[in-house]
Amino acid sequence: MSAGGGGGGAHEAIPQNNIIAFGVIGGLVGIYAAYFLVDMVGPYMSFLGALGAICGIIWGAAAVRRVANYGLGTGVPSIGMLALGIGVIATTFGLAVGGIAGPVVALVFASLIGLVVGVLANKVLNMGIPIMVQSMIEIAGAGAITIVGLSTSMMGTFVFFDEIANGMIISQGVASGVMTTGYIAVIFIAGGLAILHPFNANLGPDEKQDRTLMLALEKGAIAMIIAGIVASINEGASGSLTILIGLALWYIGFSGFYDRVKRDAYDVVGTGMLPSKEELE
Amino acid sequence: MIDIVGIIADDFLNILMITFGGVLISLGVHLVPVGGAPAAMAQATGVGTGTVQLAAGAGLTGLVTAGFMMNATDSMGLVVASGTVGAMIMIAVTMLVGQWLYVYGVGCPPASAKVKYDPITKDRQDLYVSQGTEGHGIPTASFISGVIGAGLGGLGGSMIYFYLLSIENGLPEADFIGIASIFAIGLFFVNAVIPSYNIGGTIEGFHDPKFKRFPKAVFASLVATFLAAIMGVVAIGGM
Amino acid sequence: MEPLTSMGVLALMGAAATIAGASEDLESDVGSQSNPNSQVQLAPQMMYPHRIYNKAVSGEPPSNALMCAIGGTTASVLMTTGASPILALIIGSIVAAAVHGTYSVTSYFGRSASQKRFKQPIYLDLIRSHTPVIMGYAFITTFCILVVSYLMVAVMAHPFSLPLLAFIWGIAVGAIGSSTGDVHYGAEREFQNVEFGSGLNAANSGNIVRKAESGLRNGIDNSWFCAKFGGPATGIAFGMVVFLSGWITVVFDPSISEVMGWESIIAGVAMVLLMVMWNRKIEVDARNAFGPYKSDEEEVAA
Repeated sequence: MSAGGGGGGAHEAIPQNNIIAFGVIGGLVGIYAAYFLVDMVGPYMSFLGALGAICGIIWGAAAVRRVANYGLGTGVPSIGMLALGIGVIATTFGLAVGGIAGPVVALVFASLIGLVVGVLANKVLNMGIPIMVQSMIEIAGAGAITIVGLSTSMMGTFVFFDEIANGMIISQGVASGVMTTGYIAVIFIAGGLAILHPFNANLGPDEKQDRTLMLALEKGAIAMIIAGIVASINEGASGSLTILIGLALWYIGFSGFYDRVKRDAYDVVGTGMLPSKEELE
Repeated sequence: MIDIVGIIADDFLNILMITFGGVLISLGVHLVPVGGAPAAMAQATGVGTGTVQLAAGAGLTGLVTAGFMMNATDSMGLVVASGTVGAMIMIAVTMLVGQWLYVYGVGCPPASAKVKYDPITKDRQDLYVSQGTEGHGIPTASFISGVIGAGLGGLGGSMIYFYLLSIENGLPEADFIGIASIFAIGLFFVNAVIPSYNIGGTIEGFHDPKFKRFPKAVFASLVATFLAAIMGVVAIGGM
Repeated sequence: MEPLTSMGVLALMGAAATIAGASEDLESDVGSQSNPNSQVQLAPQMMYPHRIYNKAVSGEPPSNALMCAIGGTTASVLMTTGASPILALIIGSIVAAAVHGTYSVTSYFGRSASQKRFKQPIYLDLIRSHTPVIMGYAFITTFCILVVSYLMVAVMAHPFSLPLLAFIWGIAVGAIGSSTGDVHYGAEREFQNVEFGSGLNAANSGNIVRKAESGLRNGIDNSWFCAKFGGPATGIAFGMVVFLSGWITVVFDPSISEVMGWESIIAGVAMVLLMVMWNRKIEVDARNAFGPYKSDEEEVAA
């Protein structure tokens, strides 16, 4: 599974439908692979969950990029906070009722709230952004995948409740391991910023899709490293491999981003004066 | 498997009260005087930041005080009152210090460009608006509006928290404080973003003509929060 | 708990919060973050390219919440493994500052690269000189917020966990910093070329001051200016929020009796009313001291 696929064709814009497929399929495959392989192979496979989350983050960043181009009347951050707000609600519900289908239920219900909010925004609040409904569904769905993926790589499972046999906890669930301990807060904000920061940081008339998505990979890798730090104290998951792969992905993301910055910028100089009047004309 | 219908039927009051909390947040955000980016340059009346951020800052401060109170007492009145007061203190301090900056640091008297006379103090406003701006600083009407708005936000947020925590699921409260609080934060953000889209990111307070748009956002929040409240109650009730 | 002990803890929290507020504001001035940055962003478009760090990390509240949540998480993980709280809080803050550094660098690169058509160059020496300063301030902010959160959890027995409290206080310090201290940077420092007290005429948008006392102005020059008023004022604001919101329940402890609880609410409302009156006094004084910008045409005509 290549989470680095976000870069895609060098200068050509990637169609949104491909990114949606990448986010949904890559995200769910990563999450379920982590779930089954942790059982079969060992806790160190928990890093796959974070790779799934990175797929969701890249998808979310691409969707934010599309909708925020219209100008929301308020900053880009608000839509990212909205996405994660919906995501955290749907994830709690989906994992609690869904059992083994939890991630899918979370994705479906996040999309449902996204749909409702999108329709309300256009029909009731008269925002009049043509792609608002689709984008809200996408951003909320991406938020849910990100949260489930990062939780899975922290715990090694997405099962919500602790497994108890003979009064002993044999494996900790997301509810007690991620929610009660408060680590959900860092998932919320690290995932949310990874989705909204790429477009916000590249805002400007000469923004390019591949540069923005490369930045999403880099920010997703940071979220992965944080998930690895938390995983290191959980028995069901392993932190070291997650952190190592996260660092490698961060390096790929950052150097890919820097290459594209050098490609796109007017000039990258060590130091110097401002461009002269003649140059500006 | 969780008995979804049973939980919804048992805790229907909680769902309604959580929805009401969301509506209060949505209404409260309309009252917080926020000038967005222009206000940070003394180019528009209100606090110089984004609606969502300021409302969230105040409301979550309220959540911290409400959480502390909930630890000490079970009285619903006290919990929501302390959430309200916590949010009011946060916004009052922020606006007061913001006012120091406008008056002592930038040298602009507070003035509103939306109304000719301040509806509370009856002070003339338009003469004190500098050329080429939409007002600056935080006049008394905006200040009081902001205190009320943040209070409503804190009230709504702590109500959501209280009614999530008072769901009977056979577990001690400490086991689901984490879920209830992150859920309240999630709902807070949803209900802060919806009104901020409604007012286009800036408003001066209750005297601003944009304030009349609030029923739309309140309706939108009602629908969205109701859906989310069902999910939250089922998730916690099934624990 | 002994009222004297809790009073002392609260004082310590207030002091830490004051430092956190001040360093948060200066951090956002060095990097030019949040709303005033809209002018830095606009300047090249108006033919004013500049040498100011364009750090657009998604508005201050989320970016501070990220720092604090990462710090709180790392510290909490370390404390679970048995590390001492001080060590855990310091290592947590270092991790948070490092992450914040990558966010700052990528936004300077990204925003400047997206302004190719306005010929805004990317200056690598700005990255080398400003990023360590930004990370230093980020470390101080995160550490102080973690101290506040840790004291609340460990001593005051607050039911929220350390990462969650750090996250909430991060949002709050960012909201306060961007509402108070940033005004000094946005309305005064960026536009020292217009007369004091004239506000910012919309026609002047983007015409930020680009020359410094010596050489070309950069973010470190801006933090030097804002450290004189904007930073300390932000510190007082955040310190007051943390101190006052805790003070009412420490003095009137609701766990003793419900009546005490209601007394704490009344004390809080009284404080808010006091601030409303203080604000009104400042408003009247300012109107008298500065006077109106234009004369009343109706009266002149009469």
